[in-house]
Amino acid sequence: MMRPFVEAVRTFKWEPFRSADLVEKLGYASGYARNFLSQATRQGLLIVESKKGKREKTFRANPSVVREIVLKGGKEKEELLQALGLHSRYPGQYIALRGFKVIDHDADLYRLGERIFPDTEAEDEIVITNVGKPKKMITIEV
Amino acid sequence: MEIGRCWDFKDDEQPPYPTIKVTLSSGDREAMIAPKVDTGFNGWLAVGAEAVRRLRLTPRGTVLVRAATGHSEVPVYAVKISQADLALTYTTLAIGTERSLVGRKLLENRIWLLDHKNGRFCMMTPT
Repeated sequence: MMRPFVEAVRTFKWEPFRSADLVEKLGYASGYARNFLSQATRQGLLIVESKKGKREKTFRANPSVVREIVLKGGKEKEELLQALGLHSRYPGQYIALRGFKVIDHDADLYRLGERIFPDTEAEDEIVITNVGKPKKMITIEV
Repeated sequence: MEIGRCWDFKDDEQPPYPTIKVTLSSGDREAMIAPKVDTGFNGWLAVGAEAVRRLRLTPRGTVLVRAATGHSEVPVYAVKISQADLALTYTTLAIGTERSLVGRKLLENRIWLLDHKNGRFCMMTPT
């Protein structure tokens, strides 16, 4: 489920897309595309947007998924950051994300933390993470 | 210079290790802990699982860190650290680790005495 989701993010970012776009742009079989859209919507990865008078639904990547994926970490996080094009824009840096949007970045984790979390009550939607191997990596001995 | 405030080594492992008592807070929760002084840690603070539970910290992200055993991805928390003897009150990001640690950022710009003979870690103050 994650792979086609990441591919959809890579291709459409946070713009709306239709089942037909998955077929056309990603080369998915129409049955596979429909199945993915249905499952990804159920899992909350995608948001359905139905427009009045239009028969075909449009879908959009759910921005709140970004936080979940970053907090889970690992390969999925790396793939998502890559799909969003962040590896080329912020290599080795720390970024603060609200949904799909990078709201701040810094090579120093603590400087970024000072700006984003001036107190412990700061808003919950924002997540901080590294893009690739940090230039100023935190090291611990134990 | 004279010896100022000292903190006893902890001896729950051998050899005993230096600690500094700090107060951590998040929201309306507060906890006093004595993290290990880790001069190989280039950050402010690492919070162990017990402190995370007591303060009910929720992760604000994940970052890659380098430890003695290799690289790993750890959660980060926003926490307020206070240490009266260092005149320190500062909200910072703390990484989540197995045990609590204080790093070099908390030690910098001060002179310290690592007194293995008497099992204490002390802040030196000008006379």
